[in-house]
Amino acid sequence: MISLTSYAFVSMILFSIGVIGVIARRNIFVIYMSIELMLNGINLFLITFARYHFNMDPQIITVMVISIAAAEAAIFLSVIILLFRSKKSLDTDIFTTLTQGERS
Amino acid sequence: MMSNIIFLALSFFAIAGGVAMLVYRSPMYSALGLLISILSVAGLFALLNATFLFMVQLIVYAGAIMTLILFILMFLNIKDEHLPKEPKKFALIGLGAAIMVPFNIVILKAVSNLPDADMKIVESSFGDIKPIGKLLYNDWIISFELISILLLIALVGSIVLAKRKKVNKEDA
Amino acid sequence: MMDTSLLVWIILAPLLGAILNGGIYFYHVKRKPVSELVFSIIGTGTPLIAFLITLSLFLQMVDGDITFKQTVFTWLSLDTLNIAMGFLGDNLAIFMAMFVTFVGWLIHIYAIGYMTGDAGFGKFFAYFNLFLASMLILVLADNPIILFIGWEGVGVCSYLLIAFYYTDKDNVIAGNKAFIANRVGDFGFLLGLITLFFALGEVDLSFTSLEANISNASPSLLALSGFLLFVGAMGKSAQIPLYVWLPDAMAGPTPISALIHAATMVTAGVYMVARFHFLYSGIEGIGTFIAYIGAFSALLAAVIATRQQDIKKILAYSTMSQLGYMFIAVGLGFYSSGLFHVFTHAFFKAMLFMGAGGMIIALHHEQNIFKMAQHRVQLPIIGITFLIGVIAISGIPPFSGFFSKDAILAAAFQEGQYLIWAIGMFTAFLTAFYMFRMYFILFVAPNKHAAHYVYTSKTITFPLFILAIGAVGAGFLNLPAIFGGHHLVDTWLAQTNSTHIHMSHLTEYILMALSIIVAVAGIVVAYKKYANFDVYKPEDEKGIIANKFYVDEFYDLVFVQASKKVSTFIDRVLDTKIIDGFIMAICNEFITFGKKVATLQNANVRFYAAFMLIGMSCVFVYLYISLGL
Repeated sequence: MISLTSYAFVSMILFSIGVIGVIARRNIFVIYMSIELMLNGINLFLITFARYHFNMDPQIITVMVISIAAAEAAIFLSVIILLFRSKKSLDTDIFTTLTQGERS
Repeated sequence: MMSNIIFLALSFFAIAGGVAMLVYRSPMYSALGLLISILSVAGLFALLNATFLFMVQLIVYAGAIMTLILFILMFLNIKDEHLPKEPKKFALIGLGAAIMVPFNIVILKAVSNLPDADMKIVESSFGDIKPIGKLLYNDWIISFELISILLLIALVGSIVLAKRKKVNKEDA
Repeated sequence: MMDTSLLVWIILAPLLGAILNGGIYFYHVKRKPVSELVFSIIGTGTPLIAFLITLSLFLQMVDGDITFKQTVFTWLSLDTLNIAMGFLGDNLAIFMAMFVTFVGWLIHIYAIGYMTGDAGFGKFFAYFNLFLASMLILVLADNPIILFIGWEGVGVCSYLLIAFYYTDKDNVIAGNKAFIANRVGDFGFLLGLITLFFALGEVDLSFTSLEANISNASPSLLALSGFLLFVGAMGKSAQIPLYVWLPDAMAGPTPISALIHAATMVTAGVYMVARFHFLYSGIEGIGTFIAYIGAFSALLAAVIATRQQDIKKILAYSTMSQLGYMFIAVGLGFYSSGLFHVFTHAFFKAMLFMGAGGMIIALHHEQNIFKMAQHRVQLPIIGITFLIGVIAISGIPPFSGFFSKDAILAAAFQEGQYLIWAIGMFTAFLTAFYMFRMYFILFVAPNKHAAHYVYTSKTITFPLFILAIGAVGAGFLNLPAIFGGHHLVDTWLAQTNSTHIHMSHLTEYILMALSIIVAVAGIVVAYKKYANFDVYKPEDEKGIIANKFYVDEFYDLVFVQASKKVSTFIDRVLDTKIIDGFIMAICNEFITFGKKVATLQNANVRFYAAFMLIGMSCVFVYLYISLGL
């Protein structure tokens, strides 16, 4: 039998890959996709607990999360379009107007 | 036995998809990697008796969200000069891995200290659509309604944000 | 001791005159012009009042042996220190006050004619009256602190009046020089007073009580105090080494030179030594030191004067020389002889200065004796009084200078100070020489055109006339016994316990004859050299004597440049580099550090996210360690 720990392991790996993607990549699409991967990892974690503790509630929560992810996708991609229109680049490091120190 | 193999295969593809998304420069390849990962996670849902969620994941995530991402990718006509130069990608990946290690260790240790679950076979209607519907409309009704309002806002919002501003030539 | 309320009016009259003149001058400048007559009447009326009061007190003192005393108010009253604003009119003070007010009054009259037409006429008389008031405070003071008030007051008025034509920067520099040199002396004076206070302990500081308690103090402290007080006299009375201000002080108007720098202020030092006679009698060494300083100052001034070409500078150096004689006398304990020379010197020096002033005006402010000779005009009264003054200062009998100077030289001889006597004799020769050099060049040496007569106003000639009488006759006031006289001045000043001349008549006659021979020799040498001098080829200004022995340049180098270098060093290196640099280095470190910290806020969202995650992982590390998983 596959234990809870194995599923938890997989889900944490996915979550960690998502976090690393947010930190390490500058491409705005990749950052968004890493966020989606994080959400997926957490969904897996929830479903695992639902299965192993015979509770349906985490599955409902997962439904909520997926619908929120859908809403977020719509907004996020609109913003990406806006940013691309204004700067003609997909680099997140060029948006630094809120700085107080030296601008790099 | 079979489930172990299926589990290993699916988790391999999930993680490989994630790593592919992380590593490739072109966003198209990253999107495809994410797609593979999502499909694998859907499979894992199915392995965990969450049949409804398996369907929802495929329809919404793979069918709507990933489609939307790929659509926008191709819509924006991305050329190589639009993509950022990322010289220190692997160094930062290493840094991120180093940051995430303690977090993972703590969570996994906590999880592994949980009392062993009694792995009895669940009833066949676990994870089916009818029990989920019942729970959704009885216990989680408020969240349900709020989510629908959220989706409406997201709908309106994305149109408002992405609209091109019209220049009014005549006085209104 | 008699208490009188008239004593303070001697001082208050000119003081009120100064305030009144000052106020009216403000009105004159800001609102409506006021005629010079108003200033003149106030300016000359108040010294006359002071003189008349002094005269009345003097006549009372002649009748009986009285001393006048008046305490106006108590100034300072602490545990061991009691200073009252008190005035003392004893024989010495009234003697000084008599000729100070009299000569002062005459010079005020002279100044009316001299300063007529000047824009600052009222201001001049205000300052002049203020000076007279300060000098009288100095003379009539009951205790040394009040004397110091007058001392400083005359210094300030001297500065104000030397720099009277302030639009010319050189005059201001001369005024500054006078004040600063005086200040150095005053510092010594103040230290002397402090030493005296410490030496005597809990004692009321008036002169009478000081005199009574002087034997209680340790001799070494008294010697130090006497020396430091004399440093003040060095500054005020232009002796070596603080004399450098006196020739430059001739930049002021001539009445100032006549009153302040000839007759009154510069004699304050001599008066102070005489006032402290009880102190100086006990410390013979300091007295001898004072006498030597006086002798060398007299010699130096006489040597320098032989090559000066400005008429007022010649007279300034001659003042310094005669002051040297006075200090020889008071240094050796012959206080009354020194003060008698002050008295006679006031008359003929003031007269010489006023005559010089009259000539300067008549020749349109020309002060070089050779140029004055080239453009000579006929000034009969000035010429005669000038001749009288020159003869008097050279020490030819029966003019007053002979008696007073001879008394001093005899004093030096009697005390066994033969070097001082020899220096005095040689200086007398030089005095006659340079004085007659000046007279011959100005009045005798032939020039190319005939001199025409120029009128001098009565305000100039009247004082000259009166002073001439004094210059001739004042000597008879202290006629020594060998001529049948009664030593009037010496007996009047008996309170100072001065030593008197006691030598055989033969020695006295020989000494007198020697001094006359020396003076006549000086006149003869001057006649030979200058009576037929070609005034169109003046003497050149080269040589160490003509450059005043380069003392001014030496002082500039050693004191002024050295101070400037030290100040510049402290300013540029110490203050800017070391102290400022140290503080600014700390500041700059903070700024640099702050800039480095500010790079954390670079608005890069991924950067912020990374930092949050680093923080989170630190928390988890801590959790791992503390939970002991």
